[in-house]
Amino acid sequence: MHSNSDGGVWVVVPAYNEARVIAAVIAELKRAVHRIVVVDDGSSDSTAEIGAECGAAVLRHPINLGQGAALQTGIEFALAHGAELIVTFDADGQHRTADVARLIDALEAERADFALGSRFLGSAAKVPPLRRILLRAATLFTRLTTGLALTDAHNGLRAMTRRGALRIRLRQNRMAHASEILGQIAASGLRYVEVPVTIDYSSYSRAKGQRSGDLIVILLDLFARRLTP
Amino acid sequence: MITQALLTVLLSGIVVYAWAERRRSPLVGLLSMLVALAGMYLVWIPAHATALAEMAGVGRGVDLILYIWVVISLLLFLNLHLKLRAQMDLITTLARAVTIANASHAADANEAG
Repeated sequence: MHSNSDGGVWVVVPAYNEARVIAAVIAELKRAVHRIVVVDDGSSDSTAEIGAECGAAVLRHPINLGQGAALQTGIEFALAHGAELIVTFDADGQHRTADVARLIDALEAERADFALGSRFLGSAAKVPPLRRILLRAATLFTRLTTGLALTDAHNGLRAMTRRGALRIRLRQNRMAHASEILGQIAASGLRYVEVPVTIDYSSYSRAKGQRSGDLIVILLDLFARRLTP
Repeated sequence: MITQALLTVLLSGIVVYAWAERRRSPLVGLLSMLVALAGMYLVWIPAHATALAEMAGVGRGVDLILYIWVVISLLLFLNLHLKLRAQMDLITTLARAVTIANASHAADANEAG
């Protein structure tokens, strides 16, 4: 059994130029978990310095690789340091720390290896209309390509057991990792559960988030990956 | 005859390149080779190119060959793109190793200090 104060729980926060918000995100997280690793993905601002000052372990990519690459780096680091549960948490302040505990509780209650946050099981009413359409399309795509019956296919808030994390090997450096990770969860055959979470959309997180044009890039990335061994 | 010889040399180069590339990206390599061989065949037997073009509704055999060339070019672009992705995979592996090694050094330095 894990409690939120357990050192076996690691939260991985991929961050790129998040100096404006990273201190508040870490401060909030520290109220719930002890082990926070910020993966600074080649930021040109002071994200890494602020992260370290706030007491998080900070890893710095020498160049910008993308969120998928940052997540994989953080997961590997946490596993190497004995993590038993790993939570992925976006750095732009759109996730709520209280949801971390809900994901961990769901893992234990459902004896699952993956707990996936879903904004559509939570307060879906706050999702902007265009984003809602894109996310629905992504959900349908996930259903067709992986067989996973999810309500939210692109939510950065997830929790996984050590056993689950060892089955994840993200090769999609950029946004297509969100689809890739679901494909790997499906391929692992391990149990997963969806958990209602709340996304707080701010003007900042909307500006940092995906755009409709990204959908094409994501599809191209996924297609290109299928052509390579 | 000069044009046919020139095109044959160019298409032969593509066949050799596609053969060499087939291990890295089998699909692109095989497709490039097939299209280049088909192009070579039509360069030397233009009557067949014309017949095929008429069947395909293209009109002239030379147009068909031009289209085949465009297809070859697109396949080569795709192959180049896949190569760049493979390079990016290597860079990512390297950057990750550097990142984690630096973190370990920092942790060691903190413990020693």
